[in-house]
Amino acid sequence: MLEAAAVRAGEPSAGKQPASLAVRSVTKEYELPTGPLVVLENVSFDVSGGEFLAFVGPSGCGKSTLLRIMAGLIPPTSGEVLYNGAPLRAVNLDCAMVFQSFALLPWLTVIENVEIGLEARGLPDEERRRRANFYIDKVGLDGYEEAYPRELSGGMKQRVGFARALAVEPKVLLMDEPFSALDALTTINLREELIDLFRDPDIRISIAVLVTHTIEEAVELADRIIVLSSHPGQIVTDRRIELPRPRDRRDAAFNEIVSEIFALIT
Amino acid sequence: MPVPSPGGDNGSMTGAIAAAALFSFLRMLVAYGFALAFAIAYGVAAGRSKRAERVMIPLLDVLQSVPVLAFFPAAVYFFIALTRGGRLGVEMAAVFLIFTGQAWNMAFGVYEAVTTLPSDSTEAVRAFGLSPWRRFRRLELPAAVPKLVYNSILSWAAGWYFLVACEIISIGKSSYSLPGLGSFIQRSMEAADVGGMLAGIGALVAIVVLLDVFVWRPLTVWAEKYRFEFTAAAVGESRVWDAYRSFGIAHRAGAFWERLWRGADRPIERLERVPRDSPRGRLLHAFAIFGRTLFLLAAGAAALALALLVASFLRPPVPPEAAKIPAALFFSFCRLLVAYVISLAWTIPLALWVGENDRVARIATPIAEVAASIPATAFFPLIVFFVVRALGSVNLAAVLLVLTGMQWYILFNALAGARQVPGEMKEMTKAFGLPFRRRARLAILPAMAPSLVTGSVTGWGGGWNALILSEYVTYGHRVYEAPGIGQLLVRATVSGDTRLLVWSIVSMVAVIGLLNRFVWRRLYALASVKFRIDA
Repeated sequence: MLEAAAVRAGEPSAGKQPASLAVRSVTKEYELPTGPLVVLENVSFDVSGGEFLAFVGPSGCGKSTLLRIMAGLIPPTSGEVLYNGAPLRAVNLDCAMVFQSFALLPWLTVIENVEIGLEARGLPDEERRRRANFYIDKVGLDGYEEAYPRELSGGMKQRVGFARALAVEPKVLLMDEPFSALDALTTINLREELIDLFRDPDIRISIAVLVTHTIEEAVELADRIIVLSSHPGQIVTDRRIELPRPRDRRDAAFNEIVSEIFALIT
Repeated sequence: MPVPSPGGDNGSMTGAIAAAALFSFLRMLVAYGFALAFAIAYGVAAGRSKRAERVMIPLLDVLQSVPVLAFFPAAVYFFIALTRGGRLGVEMAAVFLIFTGQAWNMAFGVYEAVTTLPSDSTEAVRAFGLSPWRRFRRLELPAAVPKLVYNSILSWAAGWYFLVACEIISIGKSSYSLPGLGSFIQRSMEAADVGGMLAGIGALVAIVVLLDVFVWRPLTVWAEKYRFEFTAAAVGESRVWDAYRSFGIAHRAGAFWERLWRGADRPIERLERVPRDSPRGRLLHAFAIFGRTLFLLAAGAAALALALLVASFLRPPVPPEAAKIPAALFFSFCRLLVAYVISLAWTIPLALWVGENDRVARIATPIAEVAASIPATAFFPLIVFFVVRALGSVNLAAVLLVLTGMQWYILFNALAGARQVPGEMKEMTKAFGLPFRRRARLAILPAMAPSLVTGSVTGWGGGWNALILSEYVTYGHRVYEAPGIGQLLVRATVSGDTRLLVWSIVSMVAVIGLLNRFVWRRLYALASVKFRIDA
């Protein structure tokens, strides 16, 4: 914790102001030989600071595409994304992303993988090491700093993915089906740890966005769920989840919401 | 004029061979350095930009399928003129020839590695804001390592194959000779000095084996670290690599390598950080555009000049001997076809056997690698001499020589294909109790098909190249000739008949182009659609 204080002292402004994201009439089309494929059609919503948002929908509803448009990784065909009121034109470096397949570089050690984003931001070597170590501890990988990804289990690889994202101290955390490549037991543990991380006073992420096809996951984690339809992807429902935390998957109210959303998708 | 024997007594011969080996090795190393730098730059550039890709990849395709040996006389003229007849010009021509035998497959390897990067990784690197330089350092270059190492082995084998041919050059009346193992062996052969020849070949084989044991096998094991698939492939092991590691040599080499790149990081990133709209940024941007335009103009002008030059040689009157070209092409094609059938006949059964049996794979793969690296060109005159003496057929000898330039490509691709057959597919056919021949027909051969087509394309490429060395062989003051396009090319070179030379090259390249377009590309499309395994 002492170490944490030192890290914070070096970054006085990190994550303190709330961020805001606005998606304005976003449409995304891909040109295919068979004609244009509309992946997203006229999607609009706002996300304000402190919110944990989840996208749920059947495969092909464009939820992962939407996440990438919000990160500035791919441009929308029409419409725009406003970040803190300004239109996004390039990759948003206030965002950090967690990937379904982890997207770790196999030739780098755990700590080198975590340092990737810090390296890009030109932090001095010493500061980089310190921050990387701090977040590796946070995700419970203390002692694995010098291991290579291939030596880790799936769950541990995704912990590295989270540490890499957290280490850049982003205002927005984007997660693209972060648990769907993992086994059921690991998933349950990691979800709980993710909630703990958000409660952690050291982590000051303002907005979290989760893409998932597991409705239970969305209901357990999110403050708000946007349900998308497929072909083309459009918003079906945008609702808040007011259940108190910690949430219990066996709770009747929990299951009611799950069934309600399930009915919307099928 | 009596040719002096390269070695008199034993002591001076050992010294002469050692010096020759050193010269040849250095020549190879210089050419390889250029080929490596070219391959990385070209492959990354073509892999990054869709627009560049559209020009660069077809161009690479052409360069790869053109038999470089055919252009050697032109290259020698050019470099010798450039250096006003100095020995340096001959050296440059030799290095250039080796380079052209080494560069293309490596460039393709880098390009493939860059374009087949997992999309999640490229997105992660963008999302975390890595600059183009960092992207190259952290993602593209490491990801290309396995392909680079694998292709380097092939490139060195190709380099040795040409080296033997390019250290002695005769064009028209002039003849140039460079000190090296190739010229040593050739001179021994011309003098029918069997002892000198065997010693030279022995030294060549020794270098090839030493390089394999101390460089390529360790590097192959090391390169495994840079694979995206998290499954362990059967790469075998290298005691030498284990030794490098336990003595800390591997670690120190790694640290040195990293330091080297870090030195480049700072100045390059400083340039990258200059804001686009500052005066310096605008200047840099303008400079970059200027450089690119200049490069494109120069490349375009060179291509145009070459086309005009070729066209001027092709203008009528057509040299009378050009009438022989169609028949010569036909003979050469038949020779290649026979060699191809022989190659398939022994490589496919071997690959099937290796695929069935891991123990055989562990033994056969390194042996095949070393065997393929030993340049058969060094043995050409011997093969010709014995085959002609025993069977009285120059034609058969030429087929055997072409075979040496073709079979290894097919073997290695067949082996790689056999390894790629998914384990579960093999288990499935076994579990249902299919006999071996049915298993091979139903599951293994179809799964190997794309690799076999790739092997065939590169094998035929190697074969066309080998033709030039195979249809005209000198041994002990006698020239053995087999009628074909290779013979015609060498004759035109020796007699200095540039018009016939250009006519021969252009017809040969045209036939190769047509074959690629109408046979191999279609087969490849068929194989990669019908027999693709989505795993």
